[in-house]
Amino acid sequence: MADELPGLDHAVLNDDDQRQLYRLMVAVRHLDESAIRWQRQGLIPGYAPELGQEAAQVGSAYVLDMSRDFVFPTYREMGVARTVGVDMVEYMATHKATWHGGLYDPVASRFAPIQAVVAGSVLHAVGWAHAQTMDGTGGAAITYFGDGASSQGDVHEAMNFAAVMKAPVVFFIQNNGWAISVPTERQVAGGSVAARAAGYGIPSLQVDGNDVVAVAKATAAALAHARSGKGPSVVEAMTYRRGPHSTSDDPGRYRTLEAERADAGEDPIQRMRAHLTAEGLADEAFFGEALADAKAEEERIREGIINLGSRPGTEMFDFVYQEPTTALKAQARAWREESEHV
Amino acid sequence: MSEHTTLSDLEAARNNTRDAAAQLESVETIESASDGQRQIPAADAPATEEPADAGPAIETLSMQQALNRALSETLEADPKAMVLGEDVGQLGGVFRITDGLQRKYGENRVFDTPLAESGILGMSVGLAMAGYHPIPEVQFDGFAYPAVNQIICQVGRMNYRSRGKLPMPITLRVPSFGGIRAPEHHGESLEALFAHVPGLKVVSPSSPHEAYHLLKFAAGRPDPVVFMEPKSRYWQKGPVDTAGTGYSPEGARVVREGRHLTLVAWGAMVARCVQVAELAAEDGIDIEVLDLRWLKPIDAEALAASVTKTRRAVVVHEAPLTSGLGAEVAALITQHCFATLKAPVERVTGFDVPYPSGDLEDEYIPNIDRILFGIQRVLEYRRG
Amino acid sequence: MAEISFPLPDLGEGLIEATVLEWLVAEGEQVERNHPLVEVETTKSAVELPSPQAGKVVRVYGEPGDIIKVGEPLIVFQVPDDTAGIVGTVPQEQAPKRRVRLTANLDED
Repeated sequence: MADELPGLDHAVLNDDDQRQLYRLMVAVRHLDESAIRWQRQGLIPGYAPELGQEAAQVGSAYVLDMSRDFVFPTYREMGVARTVGVDMVEYMATHKATWHGGLYDPVASRFAPIQAVVAGSVLHAVGWAHAQTMDGTGGAAITYFGDGASSQGDVHEAMNFAAVMKAPVVFFIQNNGWAISVPTERQVAGGSVAARAAGYGIPSLQVDGNDVVAVAKATAAALAHARSGKGPSVVEAMTYRRGPHSTSDDPGRYRTLEAERADAGEDPIQRMRAHLTAEGLADEAFFGEALADAKAEEERIREGIINLGSRPGTEMFDFVYQEPTTALKAQARAWREESEHV
Repeated sequence: MSEHTTLSDLEAARNNTRDAAAQLESVETIESASDGQRQIPAADAPATEEPADAGPAIETLSMQQALNRALSETLEADPKAMVLGEDVGQLGGVFRITDGLQRKYGENRVFDTPLAESGILGMSVGLAMAGYHPIPEVQFDGFAYPAVNQIICQVGRMNYRSRGKLPMPITLRVPSFGGIRAPEHHGESLEALFAHVPGLKVVSPSSPHEAYHLLKFAAGRPDPVVFMEPKSRYWQKGPVDTAGTGYSPEGARVVREGRHLTLVAWGAMVARCVQVAELAAEDGIDIEVLDLRWLKPIDAEALAASVTKTRRAVVVHEAPLTSGLGAEVAALITQHCFATLKAPVERVTGFDVPYPSGDLEDEYIPNIDRILFGIQRVLEYRRG
Repeated sequence: MAEISFPLPDLGEGLIEATVLEWLVAEGEQVERNHPLVEVETTKSAVELPSPQAGKVVRVYGEPGDIIKVGEPLIVFQVPDDTAGIVGTVPQEQAPKRRVRLTANLDED
């Protein structure tokens, strides 16, 4: 039998925390919607929106201890990146086709390079986490993936490895209902990724992914479990991909607007806003300020994106090896002589 | 009309004239082009314009449409054929290659799988063992890597392992090569990897006409074929002679005749090499362009025939240089033409670096100047 | 005042053209950035293009049903001189331009 996770009241989110969660979600929502516009305006060639997943991303990232934890993202974790303080121009560089992994320093950011391979980094999280056990850092890895990625064999291997080694890793699934055009019921047998954890003896939680406070508390419990030496756990945040898979996708081909409205659930930002209002934690002035801040931030990031030049072509060669081969140096020389354009 | 559409038309027109309808009016355009008078169809010439005497079998299609048509006709003709992969059903594939097929042929024959490439290929092996003819799609080139174990250890070997009792009539479609500023693992050229695997055959079309015929041909084979679609050429339109009069889907094909040097290419690089040949003609260099088409088996006879005539060769590919397929091509040419070659075979390729992000794609993919430099090196070479 | 042309961007992984469905602005109209300009349809989807900038619409290209190639002008804005200069990176197939000329003595062939 799997160990129980610590109680969900383990994480204390005070009033300031709750207001900050709201501000972060508004910033992420505005930036996400802006990035789609940037693509339509030719500023970036493509983008993978996370509209509707703000609570899952902000809530889970907010409780990380970035002095010792490490994030393993996919290509749809802009909200996580923003929450843990990754430079957003350097993050968006991946969507501007400047550099595949983004331009931020993954070591300093404690945020692994953006990963285009579905389920590509799940095993990495296990390896990194096991190293924390050996080094006694108390750090935990959090690996993000979706319902689609859960079909990949690597995810099963990762869960088994982590359980066998009691690696301090949180498998954080955003079950957003869709893997491009394929709905969860055609993707995940049994309808739940969390349920699979039992087979590996891993405790798991399924949480309302549109409730930012609930997500934060669940993730905090999973992190506490990891730090206490009990190993991995699975948190499955049930949410909804309100937008297309990417800016070149057309959801109209596989789901109707009516179905979207019916299935999307509660808007995570409206929900938090209602909560803050009901609890007397925020007023209209606060909400207005949060949006204004988000817009100002987007202006800065947009400006940064526009001014972000291409990387020099020499960098194609610079980062292949720590110790470049003679043959590669010769290719770089030939390239400079024959086709240096940038 | 942008330049690449025009050149695509030219190239496709040329494909047709060589193979199917030598009587087409455009022959004159082509032949005069190889005489050094560069004749690109007028910029406002509509892509849909068909030669006056082309006959009803010639249609103007994009490669995406041609592939879709080929799949549809294959499913129609072969009740054992089936299409499977990620998002190939209701969505019609991320490049719309399978658009409408599920509606037409039902969910048993055209279906979405869970998101696991190893699963897609492993399942295809089982389907083939049960007598079906799977046409799996791996959504992008780089997504074939998670399936490499099944492709190498199972797809390529089951016929051998079973002493011929379990053939693998699997056509693995892989949108391939670069040029579309896509994310990582969406621009890779895996032909050398696939060609190195015993038991596989590998083919890549360069035009809508080739795509239509080669896919139908591949899907009818009793052996596994990796079908590498040049995704940067999906949307350009060109004439497709669906009747295929005089068309042979086997071996390599001369797309432009020339006397002084042979450019060998496949996939998206064929169109670029035709561009280069037209430019070289301005300098009085008459270049033959050979579309290799089949990357396994490679048509060594066609290489030998062309280079025996021109006595010089440059091979162009997007994949990295080292252990790329260009090395195999160079070895075959050297073996067959050693006595008459004027210079060592030159390779103009991608670099030995991971396929770069969009901003640097044009620095990586062989461009016109780099190909011209390669040609110049061959032209300048003197023995001793 | 300066004029800025907004070319049709590649709306998705190597597409080469789009069909104008409906213009949502008229020539002479003043628009703000992100104001919906036009609805276009590609082989993959129909999308609404938000204005990349504020300015007065000087010209639009294409009637409903017309095909615009990626990289070709879609709309031209008039903007104050000091705001000219926004650019979107539009992926385009390499035009057949060259720096390298070939020279050879083929007489000895």
